[in-house]
Amino acid sequence: MTAVRRVRRSASLLGGYLGLAIVLGAIVVLVAAGVLSERRWAPFGDIRVWQFLGQGLWVTVQIGGVALVISLVVAVPLALARINLHHSVRWIVVGWIELVRATPVLALVLGITLFMPRDWLEPMWSATLALTIYTSAILAEILRAGIQSIPTGEVHAARSLGLSYVLTMRLVVLPQAFSRMMPALVSQMITLIKDTSLVSIAAVSELAGFARSTHSFYGNPAETYFVVACIYFVINYTLSRVARRLELQRAKEPPVVIPGGLDQESGRVV
Amino acid sequence: MFGQVIANNFGLFAQGYLTTILLSVSALAAALAIGALMASMRVWGGPVLSAIAGFYVEFFRNTPLLIQLFFFAVVLAPANLGITRDAVVVAIIGLSIYTGAFATEAIRSGILAVDPGQIEAARSLALGPVATIRLIVLPQAIRTVIPPLGNVASALVRNTSVAYAIGAREFLFMGILVQSRTFSPEPYLGILLGYWSLTIPLAIGLSRLERRMVFAR
Repeated sequence: MTAVRRVRRSASLLGGYLGLAIVLGAIVVLVAAGVLSERRWAPFGDIRVWQFLGQGLWVTVQIGGVALVISLVVAVPLALARINLHHSVRWIVVGWIELVRATPVLALVLGITLFMPRDWLEPMWSATLALTIYTSAILAEILRAGIQSIPTGEVHAARSLGLSYVLTMRLVVLPQAFSRMMPALVSQMITLIKDTSLVSIAAVSELAGFARSTHSFYGNPAETYFVVACIYFVINYTLSRVARRLELQRAKEPPVVIPGGLDQESGRVV
Repeated sequence: MFGQVIANNFGLFAQGYLTTILLSVSALAAALAIGALMASMRVWGGPVLSAIAGFYVEFFRNTPLLIQLFFFAVVLAPANLGITRDAVVVAIIGLSIYTGAFATEAIRSGILAVDPGQIEAARSLALGPVATIRLIVLPQAIRTVIPPLGNVASALVRNTSVAYAIGAREFLFMGILVQSRTFSPEPYLGILLGYWSLTIPLAIGLSRLERRMVFAR
């Protein structure tokens, strides 16, 4: 019984890899049977093609990593400002976050790479800046939900024990908020990695850009885009499994009840 | 004077704006249909259909829309499957399949959120399976499903801009076109205002709806 359940559970947890393996196996069989063109698939048997795509992936990781780290740093003051500022100035922060969230990422990427003078910032970093602006606004919202899910009683207790506001945030609220927002954070990371592909439209070559060079050399666009999609899939699916794990762990912790407030997790009125 | 460049090219902007609306509305309708079908397969389909629907969701959710659009543009082109070379049609197909994956997850969680006791109660009151789904499951599922589907729709409106990359003459395409002809920052501001005119009312309507749903329970 438990063994069956364990097998079924690991199958559902790793089903994506299994599905991918089946699809790739089918392609190998179809190429061998001559249904799919061998000429177009042959380049992916060459290690140098993978080294070339690997260079593109490295640029993707750089752009995504820098954008993620800076966004995390910027999101903390944004979220705290949205929660704490007096309402006469808060609308500036609220307006900024809401306007950025309402803008297509591609419009941000194209706009900033278009208007940023090249001697101020290289196109690659202008595009990273655009992704950072977008991601920091989303992370600020996630962080705000995380902070507001911490019972106010904990803040009052910390303050009445003589902790300053900064220490209360640093020692009591933010560590708990971060652990609660981990699943949402990982899914935002997935979105960010997908969005890095948009910088190839602004003439910055990362994985999607390197894919274009590959297929224009070998004349196999459909096959190359499929393989590159699989690379993105393996990275993002792995991240999504991590997020799912964190969610299952969180589900074991007792739910937080805010008397008279809104339960952030289920959206129920308590 | 501000507005001059936009006024001179008003036809292009209007055409792009309407194309963006067309992309959003038709892809949303198709994505909802895909989502309803795939979510049913996922919940009631048995092991094989459920696994297929699950892989569909995971694959298309975890891959960049840009790569998917490039792929479909090549595969649907006359040289391959020969279905279409029209970038707007390719974009509608690509956006529908991409958004369908997110819609599937939203609808599935809505179906699963209905208490199984409700279904058992309905069945023991002699309601048939179809009547149970129609009268008991769906009315409750729709209530939980509307806020996440609203988010999916709002993301879709913003994602239509990616169709620019395959040459669909939508709003962003027209704005960048006018910008490259005039070298003025004005078309770009026009683009931002145009997208905001679609996404901000959607976001406000959604948060109103969400607030009402929370208290309606």
